[in-house]
Amino acid sequence: MAHATAGHAPAHHRTNTGTDNRKLLMWFFLGSECLFFGSLIATYLIFKGDSVVGPFPHDHAGEKGILDIPVTSTSTFVLLMSSVTMVLAVYGAQHGLQKMMKLSLLATILLGITFLGFQTYEFRTFGHEGLNLGTNIFGATFFVMTGFHGTHVGVGVIYLSSLLLASFRRSGLGPEAGFHVETAGLYWHFVDIVWIVIFTVVYLIPT
Amino acid sequence: MSHAEQASEVSEQHGLTVRQYLMIGAALTVITIIELAVSYSDLGSAMVPILLALSAVKFVVVVAYFMHLRFDSALFTRMFVGSFLLALAILVALVSLFWADSHTLPLK
Repeated sequence: MAHATAGHAPAHHRTNTGTDNRKLLMWFFLGSECLFFGSLIATYLIFKGDSVVGPFPHDHAGEKGILDIPVTSTSTFVLLMSSVTMVLAVYGAQHGLQKMMKLSLLATILLGITFLGFQTYEFRTFGHEGLNLGTNIFGATFFVMTGFHGTHVGVGVIYLSSLLLASFRRSGLGPEAGFHVETAGLYWHFVDIVWIVIFTVVYLIPT
Repeated sequence: MSHAEQASEVSEQHGLTVRQYLMIGAALTVITIIELAVSYSDLGSAMVPILLALSAVKFVVVVAYFMHLRFDSALFTRMFVGSFLLALAILVALVSLFWADSHTLPLK
């Protein structure tokens, strides 16, 4: 019985908003994150194309651009697919489908780690080609923005891993499994939509 | 009522079915491929608006369906859209204020 009902709409305390305050808090947090990443993206846009020394992001004055679009497109696809597996984990948790929830959470974690692997590869490649935080204005704005995003992905991986580990306890994630996984999913999907914007602004739109 | 029927019933209340989520994932992948094709094509001044529009579609689909904003309390929608519009306004204001300066100041 517990299996069938686990994870359905959480019986939260009555609030004057009619919603669960913990979920409201997560949306507040994501709202503040909009401002945080909005400022970072604005800074990148302000200085886009202003570097006077290379390496440059895109082809510039006969010099090949440093951004590797095919590789980053692959990592973008990986993060996109992690959103699909995340929403399946939420579905599994909300419907009491424990195996589906655990497998989907595991897949999301692995895809998140893969994305971080791509980002590490990219950063190392840029470093070997002479681009770092102090090289030019592109390096400064690029590394700060994508670095903060990568950190968010890392935090998401830890968040989901803690949920996955907790789900193996005898009591699992408890009667509010659906709520816990859904809240984590909100964070994960937000990280994905931030990357949707960064991918377009930084990689696809030329200088 | 079987477990599958219960799951189907609840999904109607709280979101979509697994098949629908997978179809949305496929649609997002297709949009990303179109974005790539557009970025490699020679569309001139139309390229940036097209890329931004495609990006906006992906953004809205993820927020509406994966984050369940379409099915959840309107309060969450107001909070998120409000924050997003504020962030967008700050972005436009900052770019408008400093765009010209960044092109005249000596930079590395």
